[in-house]
Amino acid sequence: MADFKPKIVAFLCNWCSYEGADKAGGQKLNYYAGIKIIRVMCSGRVDPYFVLKAFREGADGVMVLGCHPGDCHYRKGNISALKRMRLLEKMIVQFGVERERFMLDWISAGESEKFQKTAEKMTSRILNLGPLKLEGYVKRKAAQ
Amino acid sequence: MPGSKTGDKKTVLFLCKCSSNISNIVDFEEIKRWAGEKGDTNIAAVSNLLCAPDGKKFFSEVIKKKNVNNIIIAACSPKLHEKTFQDIAEKNNINMSRVRMANIREQCAWVTADKNEATEKAKSLINAAIKRSFLSEDLKRRTMKAYSDVLIIGGGIAGIETARTISKTGRKVYIVEKNITIGGSVMKTEDLAPSMECSPCLMAPILSDVRDDPNIEVLANAEITNILGFFGNFNVTIKEKPRYVEDNCIACEECFKVCPVSVKNEFHYSLGERKAIYTLFPGAVPASAVIDKNICKHFTDNSCDKCVSVCPFGSINFDQEEKTTAINAGSIVISTGFKPGDLAGFPELGHKSINDVYTTYELESLLSTNGPTGGKLKPDDEKIPASAAIIHCAGSMDSRGIPYCSSICCTHAVKAGEMLGKVYPAIRVFNIHNDLVFTDPEEHQFYKKQKAKGTTFIKCFDLSSIKITKTPDDEKIKISGYGFEPISVDIAVLATGFKPADDFKELAKIMDLALDKNGFFRPGHRILHTTASEQDGIYSAGCASKPVNAAAACTQAQAVAGDIMSRLIPGREIELEIFTSFIDEEKCAGCKMCIPACPFKSIYYDPERKISIINEALCRGCGTCTAACPSGSIFARHYTDNEINAEIEGILHG
Ligand code: SF4
Ligand code: SF4
Ligand code: FES
Repeated sequence: MADFKPKIVAFLCNWCSYEGADKAGGQKLNYYAGIKIIRVMCSGRVDPYFVLKAFREGADGVMVLGCHPGDCHYRKGNISALKRMRLLEKMIVQFGVERERFMLDWISAGESEKFQKTAEKMTSRILNLGPLKLEGYVKRKAAQ
Repeated sequence: MPGSKTGDKKTVLFLCKCSSNISNIVDFEEIKRWAGEKGDTNIAAVSNLLCAPDGKKFFSEVIKKKNVNNIIIAACSPKLHEKTFQDIAEKNNINMSRVRMANIREQCAWVTADKNEATEKAKSLINAAIKRSFLSEDLKRRTMKAYSDVLIIGGGIAGIETARTISKTGRKVYIVEKNITIGGSVMKTEDLAPSMECSPCLMAPILSDVRDDPNIEVLANAEITNILGFFGNFNVTIKEKPRYVEDNCIACEECFKVCPVSVKNEFHYSLGERKAIYTLFPGAVPASAVIDKNICKHFTDNSCDKCVSVCPFGSINFDQEEKTTAINAGSIVISTGFKPGDLAGFPELGHKSINDVYTTYELESLLSTNGPTGGKLKPDDEKIPASAAIIHCAGSMDSRGIPYCSSICCTHAVKAGEMLGKVYPAIRVFNIHNDLVFTDPEEHQFYKKQKAKGTTFIKCFDLSSIKITKTPDDEKIKISGYGFEPISVDIAVLATGFKPADDFKELAKIMDLALDKNGFFRPGHRILHTTASEQDGIYSAGCASKPVNAAAACTQAQAVAGDIMSRLIPGREIELEIFTSFIDEEKCAGCKMCIPACPFKSIYYDPERKISIINEALCRGCGTCTAACPSGSIFARHYTDNEINAEIEGILHG
């Protein structure tokens, strides 16, 4: 699987994590190019459906990154995200997606290095797991 | 380039080289070729530095000349320049929603070493931006009428300074004070450290200013019972308790002489007494006396009305009733002050069990001209105290009391020695401390001066080991502790810290604000906006968000006033959030799942129509409700499901 180039979609909140990723850029902290970022105003905006949609569209891994608990620009959007994503983690397993393919974490605007490390961690996780294979019914549904 | 794939959109793709920051990693020729082949952009325009004056001119010219209505900019982070280009687009009659940036610098060129990989990543980021842009709907700037009047909760020095600053602009300011007069904690002091400025002299003209200012209305003996609304449009309900004394009272104090009931005076830390009819200090605002209904014999057993007959102005009115007032204000300021740390959990310090052991507050009250003894610590016939020990951090940095450092009490402790030295020039002073915290050079200088005057500073590495004892046979108070020889003194003073005021919890509940782990109001931002709260339009000054001294309280007050005055301008409407969410009334199932999801309580249920509705004046646009709605009825403007789905597709199939 030497030529496996994982596709990883990362949903980042506007106020902390996206800033953290921008800062990583400013400091030229390289990470794997297959990590592609979608900006949302708050991690609370991330509908579990978006995560499922990303897997269906061919993502091998999905990340949701928000402000640290207590620091959400909207007070507690990230807490809503946390609750939802815990449920989602259980759900994806039912669909044949390994739990490790999904990651929820907190990155502050200053934590550029944590962002880089988290991105690298996710990359190596997905490299270990190999490409996402959806089977049977789920595969047929996904193809539709 | 073919335009067929773009529907009614004429799309331009700007590619910015950022000098060579981007173009030396991302292959612009390849991007242009790829864009042309894809065909969903009509023009690709390359700029060397799009955000520079030349670049902006180029940007304007292209959108004007080519008559485009959809703009993708592949450049730096949208957080840097999306607004710059949106503003230019708006000047050219293109809605801000039609300008979208693909972040190919911070999140691509600067973090990718390999040119091919960077170019491929840039393609997918651009593709996502394009795909999404076709679904964007126009955004509207919305404004709303706003009140420019201000309501201040708490009439201590912070509240008063806020009021005085704002009233000068002609705005109406209300001060709601729970005590019977304004003035707050500073009125309980004699001098303010480190400058040792005389506090009554400082406060007297300020209080008369407030009294005479037609724009400031003081509602004393009053409390907030409800707050509705949002920045620009608050509606506050206030309950004013009856004083039983009319406003024409001038506090001549004739009635005090005849009133038969006395009680400990809380204003003086219960060190002195007051009558059932009382004022707090001469020159108070409001001036009129108050009858304490709980102890007044007219109310308890109807056996007395002595004050009625002696009052020269006929001011006593036992029939006064509680008054409820509703006030509209654009902003609210919390300046409810602090509460001195208490020592109930520290029996080893002898407070209240050993004579001549005082807190710094009590000592100062006794030494104050406005205090219970008119400024005398000891009656004239008592022996003059020869020595005093002042214990720093008493009841602080200890889970039994205040777990934090208030950063003010060290200066109070030094001040206690300075004040004692003024009354008893021969007194020997010992300050027992561990950390010494001074927050500015003047405070530190104050400490050095005290040391030079002969005060002994004794370092004790573990202040929790301090014991203050005195047996009936002892003439002096004994102070012992880890690391120093016990000392015997005539007076012990405990420098306690600042606790959050008692009403913080209730106010936090009414205003839907969070308190931090120490019980103070959490600031809107720890650096950029320490006087804002977590609710737009609600500010804090004085000790609401952390312990501060009087000087800092005034600075905060003026900062708050400035912020309010710049945001609420009489006659000008305020701008509302643009990216709000709204509910499709047709689709909403009335399940109410969205209501608890909203961090700002912006969603309410309409029982008649059986649907939920978002108050868009309150909505901050986080989109949390949108993700919570099981029926897909909520639309987060500029971040709709459709847009994000298009971005997901675009990014994965770029
Ligand atoms: S969650 Fe959706 S369906 Fe339920 S009340 Fe709110 S808007 Fe209506
Ligand atoms: S977008 Fe956020 S602030 Fe607005 S109504 Fe929904 S949950 Fe509340
Ligand atoms: S804004 Fe960052 S998680 Fe809510």
